[in-house]
Amino acid sequence: MNAIIKRELIDVFRTKKSFAMQVTLAVVFALLLLLRWPTESQVDLSGKRAQEVFRIFGYGLLTVLILMAPAFPAATVVREKIKGTLALLFNSPIPNWQIYFGKLVGVSGFLFLLLIMSLPSAMACLCLGGISLTQELLPLYLVLFLLTLHYAVLGMWVSSLSNSSDGALRATYLIILALTVLSLVPYLLFQGSESLLTALSWWMRSVSPIPAVMEILGHGFIGSQGVEKATQLDAPGRFFLVNGMLTLALMVDTLYRFNHKIFDRVRASGTMTNDMNVATQIGRRLLFMFFFDPRQRSIGILPLVNPVLIKEFRTRKFGRSHWLMRIVAFCSIASLILAYLATMGTLDWGPDVIGGIMIMLQAALIVLFTPSLAAGLICGEIESGGWQLLQMTPMRAYQIVLGKLLSVFWTMSLVLCATLPGYVVMGWIVPEKWSQINQVLICLVWAAVFSVLVSAAVSSLFRKTAAATVTSYAILAGVCIGTFFFWLFRDAPFGHGLVESMLSLNPIATAIQVIETPGFETYDLVGTNWLLMGIASGLSLVILVVQTLRLSRPQ
Amino acid sequence: MSEKVVETVNLTKCYGEFVALDDLSISLEKGQILGFIGPNGAGKTTTIKILVGLSRATSGSAFVDGYDCFREAKRIKRLVGYMPDTFGSYDNMRVREYLDFFGAAFGISWLRRSKRIDEVLEITNAVYMQDLFVESLSHGMKQRVGIARTLLHDPSVLILDEPANGLDPQARIEMRELLLSLAAAGKTLIVTSHILPELSRICDQVAIITQGKLRAYGPLEEIMKTVSQKRTVEIQLVSGADVEKAGTSLQQILDDSPEVTASPTESMVRFQTEQQDDGLGRILSQLIENGVRVAQFRELQTDLEDAFLSVTQNATASEAALAGEKEPPTAEASP
Repeated sequence: MNAIIKRELIDVFRTKKSFAMQVTLAVVFALLLLLRWPTESQVDLSGKRAQEVFRIFGYGLLTVLILMAPAFPAATVVREKIKGTLALLFNSPIPNWQIYFGKLVGVSGFLFLLLIMSLPSAMACLCLGGISLTQELLPLYLVLFLLTLHYAVLGMWVSSLSNSSDGALRATYLIILALTVLSLVPYLLFQGSESLLTALSWWMRSVSPIPAVMEILGHGFIGSQGVEKATQLDAPGRFFLVNGMLTLALMVDTLYRFNHKIFDRVRASGTMTNDMNVATQIGRRLLFMFFFDPRQRSIGILPLVNPVLIKEFRTRKFGRSHWLMRIVAFCSIASLILAYLATMGTLDWGPDVIGGIMIMLQAALIVLFTPSLAAGLICGEIESGGWQLLQMTPMRAYQIVLGKLLSVFWTMSLVLCATLPGYVVMGWIVPEKWSQINQVLICLVWAAVFSVLVSAAVSSLFRKTAAATVTSYAILAGVCIGTFFFWLFRDAPFGHGLVESMLSLNPIATAIQVIETPGFETYDLVGTNWLLMGIASGLSLVILVVQTLRLSRPQ
Repeated sequence: MSEKVVETVNLTKCYGEFVALDDLSISLEKGQILGFIGPNGAGKTTTIKILVGLSRATSGSAFVDGYDCFREAKRIKRLVGYMPDTFGSYDNMRVREYLDFFGAAFGISWLRRSKRIDEVLEITNAVYMQDLFVESLSHGMKQRVGIARTLLHDPSVLILDEPANGLDPQARIEMRELLLSLAAAGKTLIVTSHILPELSRICDQVAIITQGKLRAYGPLEEIMKTVSQKRTVEIQLVSGADVEKAGTSLQQILDDSPEVTASPTESMVRFQTEQQDDGLGRILSQLIENGVRVAQFRELQTDLEDAFLSVTQNATASEAALAGEKEPPTAEASP
């Protein structure tokens, strides 16, 4: 056996985390079957019950993979690069491609094992009847296996480009969530016509595993309008084609750089605009509108400003003013395009549906951005040794935490405010919607507050940023995405009450319900959700404060 | 009367049963440099952390400029500049911005901060790196920036944990000069290092600590005298043939049963003695009278490294003896 595979796999299996994952997964699948196994003497000839179990089972596996898969490959290369063991490996007689594939099999092997562990439960579903082995079970597993491989390759690609484990983890989660969720949006907007945009969005949608899995589980119609051409490839087929090519491309690119090049790092020359000749200075200042020049020597932290707030912005990859402006501009344009589409009425959708899409986009931004901004607030400092230095300054613990929290809230506010034009246009088209729009905005503010405080609290509980990031993503994805699965099974097996209870945990679902998006009109979520968000945010704040005080006390 | 800037009195720190620091008492005056030496896990960092207010002593007390390190921790932060052994870098931040942040955190006014950053960059000879990103700096450059950071708020005491660690010889010389110039400017320095020859060139005082206990403390020369009461003398002979004759002569001349080692291949004889300078002169004369052809006759200087090894070995031996005394009698020995 390849020595790398052996070491990687043994490393993973030795961890308590992997043991806990295996046990949890086995118990969850066993419970699922136990709960839905027929106890009556009557036989369910329609196979409806088996399909219900199988659907939950399929979506559950997909969610587990999306949430867990990036955690393993994302740090595998960069961690070894930082520790210096990758250089030792390159210096050994093992060819580089063997090291790469050894690591790939090592990290994906554990995920494959988790998938294989679910097979007995899947077979039990098959035995319940009503499920086809070749039409449903086999395609589902093929999609999930390809997805696992794709995520492992993607994670290693990101890892090979990164310089820190937590940075690699954040980037991998961002890319995966963008590929999984955001790739669906263009098709939702352009479907139903035969334009080039529709064709492009149709292929873009195929990057996400969601349409493929939904089609296999009999939910392919959700979110679709009109009838697709019969000649087109089905969703799983497109998924295999697009992701197979993408996986191959990423693999080739990583292999191309999987040698001494991986250690090459461009160092900025440190040439500032201030030191350039007058003509270049004027040119750059005009080009960057005086404020957004990345090579402008900063004027220093102004009086009455919390130094930690400025430090947080400066140390973030996208925290500098020129990057913030780019993000805000992108969000504004996206929001205006949506508003324009709603205004022109080119689609059959009304403002309710467009409003729902806007909320989903904002939710995606919140879920994607917040952990990457807030999950390293405290543990990132501890990990880098900065916490000790901060303790040596006369700043009080509350000033440090406040500065850090404000830096995240400012960023989130900028991003959310940039998406407001769409709501303004919507309110202008349908003036009676203003009160609903106000409620939606409150829901989104709650979502942002909750996400920031939960991520910050998690950050104070962990010592490693990578672990805190994964936990934050898992919590937020569980609350903001996971609860929608109950809605997906709103008639069977979950009743109205349970679905309403689960959705009331979700601020995004509450916003969607407020704007009366089809499918959500029957629920009443606002009061309960706001109360729960308040409690959860308050608790997170308490944890954050207590932990910070504990950490800043002399040992 | 001399002014005590740093003082610890019977400082003890326990983590449960484990005694990390045992009854440590040291003091340091203005402008002095203390070399704080000890193997890994000896209690150096624990002492430093107590001095900078990051840790609380189990018993005893520590003072900087007369202020209690625990009760007046906020004031201590303004008096002490601490450079830990880890740099604590922030990615995506230029050196000037990094210093600007710490300057602001120490409450240096916006108007004065820029000038102060220029000053500390000048002192540490780091002006050329002000626009470079911190994470792209080499280890030596980071050490300079680290010292610049500790100097920002103009502290009276500097505590530097392994400042010469990982530096190349040229950078070490520059670091040594920098530390001496800081001491000359009236700063009191506590420096830990594993590179003992470096410390011996700059320290006024030395504290050797092992297993949490202070083994030796005082001016460098005194420590040397204490740990090395016998002088080591090396005689370089003209020919290897004289080695045996020299050895025999030395045995006859010296009546304090000297430890003589001879190396015919190197034409060299080495011995240890408690004789003073006039005694050594007599030994040389008698050797020449006995027909030994001497090319060189010189005393080998005991350096800090020898002193440290001597102290730590003595400490280990006495700990072992103490443990032996405490051990219950073995089955064979018991009646």
